[in-house]
Amino acid sequence: MFRKGAAVAVAGVCVAVGVFTLDLVHGDPDSSFAGAGVLGRGALAAAGFALAAAGLAAWLRGGHRFGSLLVAGSLAWFLLEWIVPKNPSSLAFTTGLVLYACCFPLIGHAVLAFPSGRLDSAVERITVAGAYCVAAVVLGLLPTLVFDPAAGCNECPGNLLLVTGRDSIHDRLVRVGVWLGAASAAALAIVVVLRLVRASPTARRSRGLVLVAGAVYLGLVAATYATSIDRGLLWNGDLQRRLWVAQAVAIVGIVVGLVWSWIRARRGSSAVARLVLELAHSPPAGGLRDALAEIVGDPTLELAYPIEDAGRLVDTDGRPVVFAAGKEHTTLVGDGRALAVAAHAPGVLDDDQLVADVAAAARLVLENERLQAAVHARVDDLRASRARILEAGDAERQRLERDLHDGAQQRLVGLALSLRLLRSRLDSGAETPLGRSIAAADGDLHEAIEGLRRLAHGIFPAVLSDGGLSAAVVALAEDAPIPIHVESLPSDRYAPAVETAAYGLVAAAAAAATARVFVRAGRSDGRLVLEIDAGEIGNELEQTELDDRVSAAGGRLEVARPDGRVVIRAEFPCAS
Amino acid sequence: MRVVIADDEALFRDGLTGLLIGAGVEVVAKVGTSAELVRKVELTRPDAAVVDIRMPPTHTDEGLLAVEEIRRVRPQVGALVLSHYLESHWAMRLIEEHPERSGYLLKDRVSDVAVLVDALLRIDEGECVVDPTIVSRLVRKPRERSPLDELSERELEVLALIAEGHSNEGIAKRLFLSTKTVETHVRHILSKLGIGETADYHRRVLAVLAYLRA
Repeated sequence: MFRKGAAVAVAGVCVAVGVFTLDLVHGDPDSSFAGAGVLGRGALAAAGFALAAAGLAAWLRGGHRFGSLLVAGSLAWFLLEWIVPKNPSSLAFTTGLVLYACCFPLIGHAVLAFPSGRLDSAVERITVAGAYCVAAVVLGLLPTLVFDPAAGCNECPGNLLLVTGRDSIHDRLVRVGVWLGAASAAALAIVVVLRLVRASPTARRSRGLVLVAGAVYLGLVAATYATSIDRGLLWNGDLQRRLWVAQAVAIVGIVVGLVWSWIRARRGSSAVARLVLELAHSPPAGGLRDALAEIVGDPTLELAYPIEDAGRLVDTDGRPVVFAAGKEHTTLVGDGRALAVAAHAPGVLDDDQLVADVAAAARLVLENERLQAAVHARVDDLRASRARILEAGDAERQRLERDLHDGAQQRLVGLALSLRLLRSRLDSGAETPLGRSIAAADGDLHEAIEGLRRLAHGIFPAVLSDGGLSAAVVALAEDAPIPIHVESLPSDRYAPAVETAAYGLVAAAAAAATARVFVRAGRSDGRLVLEIDAGEIGNELEQTELDDRVSAAGGRLEVARPDGRVVIRAEFPCAS
Repeated sequence: MRVVIADDEALFRDGLTGLLIGAGVEVVAKVGTSAELVRKVELTRPDAAVVDIRMPPTHTDEGLLAVEEIRRVRPQVGALVLSHYLESHWAMRLIEEHPERSGYLLKDRVSDVAVLVDALLRIDEGECVVDPTIVSRLVRKPRERSPLDELSERELEVLALIAEGHSNEGIAKRLFLSTKTVETHVRHILSKLGIGETADYHRRVLAVLAYLRA
């Protein structure tokens, strides 16, 4: 409420100052820059009122500091015309004397401070401060203190700040001031151009017009001063008047640029608003990335979510993310925590406000996706650790099987040979009690060897590691209590975990089936697809264990039971 | 007959050596690794090598690899592989690659020295030898309706002997039949099973084994 009231008051002051200035120009066209023509007066009014209006608009948008700079610039623009001799008011005349040169530092300051209202670097601050000093002190205050209108300008009103009339000091000060004015306006122009060159593409798109028009304006001011150096004061000859009209055009350009950037920002925030609406309806997986990519206009944008403990970045599926090189990273923060990290083309997320808006709008979804990613990552970790456990178990079983074969069994066979040797030395004594007990021991020994062989095979089928899945299934068919029909089975080799899991499925089906088992396997789309039709089963399958093995091998298991039959279908990933 | 014995288990090596010497076979060397085996074969040029399938370092199929290496240089040296594995997979690996002068016996069978010596003699004559236990597992493995059902007991017996690598004469001697009768049986069996008749003995063994494994 207060702000609106103040704005109305400021608007009133600006209009009053503008109208007063036009009246001054009307009364003394020759001494003014605007002159008697419509073009000059139009330029005076257009630039001054446009600046005031833009300043008020910025003010109402919340940019107080920036808005004030523009309004002050507008007033300073008009003040240039207040030092006409026919100015009826001493107060206005004196004000003009002190402040007439202040328009260019104010506008330069505003252009550099857009949109935040603050200056970025020390160089910018020093240049702007220097310009203020030149305009307000060297060109304004100091000459005013020693300027006595009565001495050379009979028509002029009084100088309220006159201390003592010293024409020579006044002229020297002004001469230096014009030099410095040209220099500091040129310096400001250069700083603005540097800002433009260093800006990111996005910043250039939204603020480029303001910076370009600002640089042109400052350059024109520098030219106006530079062409006045010969005269020793800011001259209003034909050339300078034309330059001044061009200044007015550049100022209007700055204002147009401001309006353009505000419209762009509004479009951005309406895209964010749309994002909020879309997300409120139904957030599709990966939809946030697409929406963000559209808003910032970077189709290559990637989103990743930080997982607290490990400092890892993962995608929504929990897979580790490595961003492509040459991308800029922006962290979306909500509630003081990093919700997500976006990798994007340099510059597209330079607008801190846009980033904050997006983070705020998408906070819930980001949080949701981050948690989802964290859960997926945890599940992946678990799966990997389960696979490691199973792998370690398989390796251990394989080792056990070897130990049994190469330790106990070998020795037993050696023992059997020794016994046989002993028996042959007994020669014809095979029918003696000793010979009979040796023969009995020999029989026991062979049973033990056979038992050991079965045990070892049960612990781990060596044929699986030697010949792979198809060899192991063929071997299984030699020993199974029921027929195993292998309709198709590629003899390719797969990862040990895949072979063990697939073999385990066939073995489990063969153990459970009552009549026969059909096995069919093949490759499709880089996956091993295994189908087992076990028919009717006698014993229930240990489905959890099978499931564990299959998923530890990265596969997927389906067990269907159409009309009393059990049909197992499993898919495994296989490397090329 | 001169043989080299390769087995990493000393007790077995020595026992086997004793048995073979008792049976009149000359053991020219006994070694514990496949590298040593290859070297000794080069040095002693035996008629055959008796090789344990599992030897250091990995204890998986070193014996088969050693046979491979020996055969590359000395194709005329016979190879008898001894194994604990009942599955036909390893026997097929050996026979498919070296159908001539090679054999695959289960380890506990060798305590019957007659079987062992018979196998060595057959290998020396160029036949191949497959352990009867392995063959009978194949013959008896569960099947649904199959042409095997239509074979008589005697024909099944002949079929198993074919798969074990016996020639018609060998089968005739074993079953106390005339060679002519055996030839008739063989013709019947092969045509019932739909295996094209082949004069090549080794091809016949492989075809029958492949049929039984399928």
